[in-house]
Amino acid sequence: MRTIGNWRIYGLVFSAVFLLSGCGFKDIDKRLFVVSIGVDLAKNSSKKYLISLKFAIPSASKDQPNEFSIVSEKADSMSEAVRILKTKVDKEIDFSHAKVIILSEEVVKTSGNAGIYYWFPRRRDVQGIAWVAIGKPTAQDVLNVKPKSEQLPSNAIFLALGKDGSETPYIIPSLLFDFKYRLIERGIDPILPIIEAQKQIFEINSVGLFNKSHMILHLAPEETKMLNFLKSKEEKSAIKLTKGKTTVVIDTQQVKAKYKIHTPKGKDPYIKFEVSVKGRLEETNRRVTNNQLSGYEKAAEKSLNKEFEDLLVKIQKADVDPLGFGIRYRSRHFNNDDWQQWKRIYPKITFKVVTKVKITDTGLIE
Amino acid sequence: MNRYYLYLILLNMLINVIMFVPKILIEYRYNGAVMGTLIAIPIGFSLNVLFTKAITKFPEKGFPEIFARSRKRWIINLLFGIISFAAFTAGLISLLGFVDILRRFVNPEMSFMYLLSVFLAGILLITKLSTERVMYLLEIVLFLNTPLILFIIFKAFTSDYLVWDSILEVGTHLFTKPSLKAIAAASYIFAGYTNLIIFNRIIKGKIKGWNFIMVFFLGLFNLFTTFFIPIGFHGSDGAQEYLYPWISTSDSLRLVYSPIERVIFLFLIFYMGITLMSVSVHWHLSYELIKGTYKESKKKDWAVLAVFACISVACALFFHTLLLNKITVHWMLSRFGLEIIVVGLFYIWARRQKT
Repeated sequence: MRTIGNWRIYGLVFSAVFLLSGCGFKDIDKRLFVVSIGVDLAKNSSKKYLISLKFAIPSASKDQPNEFSIVSEKADSMSEAVRILKTKVDKEIDFSHAKVIILSEEVVKTSGNAGIYYWFPRRRDVQGIAWVAIGKPTAQDVLNVKPKSEQLPSNAIFLALGKDGSETPYIIPSLLFDFKYRLIERGIDPILPIIEAQKQIFEINSVGLFNKSHMILHLAPEETKMLNFLKSKEEKSAIKLTKGKTTVVIDTQQVKAKYKIHTPKGKDPYIKFEVSVKGRLEETNRRVTNNQLSGYEKAAEKSLNKEFEDLLVKIQKADVDPLGFGIRYRSRHFNNDDWQQWKRIYPKITFKVVTKVKITDTGLIE
Repeated sequence: MNRYYLYLILLNMLINVIMFVPKILIEYRYNGAVMGTLIAIPIGFSLNVLFTKAITKFPEKGFPEIFARSRKRWIINLLFGIISFAAFTAGLISLLGFVDILRRFVNPEMSFMYLLSVFLAGILLITKLSTERVMYLLEIVLFLNTPLILFIIFKAFTSDYLVWDSILEVGTHLFTKPSLKAIAAASYIFAGYTNLIIFNRIIKGKIKGWNFIMVFFLGLFNLFTTFFIPIGFHGSDGAQEYLYPWISTSDSLRLVYSPIERVIFLFLIFYMGITLMSVSVHWHLSYELIKGTYKESKKKDWAVLAVFACISVACALFFHTLLLNKITVHWMLSRFGLEIIVVGLFYIWARRQKT
């Protein structure tokens, strides 16, 4: 009997919980889900930015699942824009599915946008794992593209950046938390992929390199691929090389890169890169036998060394550090002024790249 | 291995994420947290061993039973009061912290009081159960949640975005003067043994050396994860900007092929159970100690629980996150001091007892 008495009291306590007024849980049909966010500079206006939100429109039939609408607003700040955008739509704006943030090229080239960049991680409902990318020519154009193969709004960008769909060495994706990490951390700088909007497709094959406030350098597709090799994040790729009159293409299966910063006393500091490439021959315009492969390996090593070094020097001249040499230097030195030291060292450091290429065979035929 | 003993320790190791331990450690990362952590390991571990050795001399007895025949009642009552207050506030901090996290990330429109009262109802229900049942419940909750939390930690360790250079950069600040606050916060990881004050009632026999080795390595791994993984994700310069470093870290993980892509929600769901049990265990300890100061009385029991509920509601009205964070730092310091005093006194007292 005693336990039953106890349970009655608990019952009372529990039912009191339901008396409390809970408010504000909105049903899913009263919410509008933002799938991607675009930030442009406003034209012909006193306001600074043009913020566009791309909403997925749920439809009853399965025939048109990729319908969307884009609503834009000019404002001086992100939060202002969102508040005004709320008055333009009938439902509650929900950011929890916003998976892509597109900053237009104009925005990233000007400095002083930290407020916008920080707005995203500050908001609790924007995912830390949202992708950040640069939109070309404008962010709005990128949002407007509707590829034929796309099944859900913005899904094409998700698949391309997430590498769930196509895998290519020309894309270096960047997540929001990583972008913020690189904006703050001394010794490593952000890299953002550039999405170029064309009529019905996207082209994502170059990246923009940032310093701590704005984009400094634009890398061409081939340079992007090289940078990706140096990050050793991408394995499936192709390397083209010419030896004499023959041009061959190597299909790589494995690319590994590691580096070490050497600061010998009394001598000039240098960074030694060791890159190993393993792959097989995929295409050639003349006959290549298996015996000749070592010659092509040598040629490939030579041309890759040059390309890597050129890229590294280009990055160094622009005074950006996307590979994180600075943080590597800081992490290997115990003194407190290692960052000041590194800032003196970096502009005059030299790069030595040693590439090892291994071509396993010439495919199914010689 | 005595699994009940390990559960109690493991519970504290898991809950430190909610108890602002990562936040405190990361705040002092350049100012002595690394050395502090290294110092906290032997201190926390030896306190753990000393206390466990001492209390297992009284098999199946909690503090109230051990001191039942003591003559100087007022000293015992004072001691019980202080320990009970410390345990209660430990539970309160994690409860308020977690309710705040839930409201922030899951449903910002929900009122704080509503969430808190749902939690309170559950916690008070568990608090009032017998010690054995609390333990069984703890076992179930840990059994369900720990493997999944370990999976998330595994994902974090193997993530492409974990930058080891940033972790090492903080490691290079090893030789700065250790900060006391960091030591206090880091030693909290090992503080699970304090639950033995009551939970020794269900621990049979001696606790063998194996358990201590387990505790040592678990603690080492746990401290490393708590402190360094957020730094690896958010940077040696950037990690301190986050209000809840570990929650933000779980938001930085992506499970591509899982039904829920955002790890943060999985993480919060797992931690809901862990927090519920942690608060319940702390409050059970607090409740049983207070019960030990008076003769059995139903009315007083309920009064104690009512006071618990009222204090939590009052604190919920008064504290906001930043204030809670500040107070936790001081709480950690006082807990650290109290722990050393209690363990020291009890160890000396227990040695004098004939067993």
